[in-house]
Amino acid sequence: MIYVSIVLLVIAWIFILFGMAAVFRVKNLYTRILSAATIDTVGSLILLFALLIASFLARGEQGFNIRYDYIIRFVLLIGLLMLTNPISAHVNIRSAYLTGVEVKVLEHESDKDEAKEKEGELYG
Amino acid sequence: MTVFEFFLVLTLFMMILAILLSFVRLVLAPTIWDRLLMINLISIKVVMFVVVYAIYTDSILILDIAISYGIIGFLTITLLSKYIMTGGREK
Repeated sequence: MIYVSIVLLVIAWIFILFGMAAVFRVKNLYTRILSAATIDTVGSLILLFALLIASFLARGEQGFNIRYDYIIRFVLLIGLLMLTNPISAHVNIRSAYLTGVEVKVLEHESDKDEAKEKEGELYG
Repeated sequence: MTVFEFFLVLTLFMMILAILLSFVRLVLAPTIWDRLLMINLISIKVVMFVVVYAIYTDSILILDIAISYGIIGFLTITLLSKYIMTGGREK
């Protein structure tokens, strides 16, 4: 059963790698903040779940003893991260938007003309 | 050292690498909101580092430090972004 938490740890590494790649590769400011914050939130939650599983599965050598003090703190930490990480990303984006960073319209190579027409409708 | 402890040590090194990369990005960032984002990511990663270290050494008191560090990181982001949004003036 300890291999479940090892697999979850590896999935968390992959999420953190994609988050760091998103920070360096994406060019738009809002997309960068959105992708990095959400991917990192999911990675941290998966890592905490892996350690939560490991904390009451790995140490049970003399029988299956659940350690409630670990579980209480892990549930507190998971709830705290799940609440505060999206809020902090939202606050960051709100401060950028209200200060006046302009939102760009997404453009494809195929429909550039449609995008220009839509840009006139949206921001004209 | 069991297999699980080996993976925990690998996770610790990976967190250190991610923190160093985000510190480089914090210095070289184009706008100030990127710096705020990097402070957010560094605080999350320090929380994860402390939690993995607490499991590795099997001590509960370090987990309390992780919880308080998460609260301090959230307060840092909200107060700094409000300060930047109002431009230093009181509103």
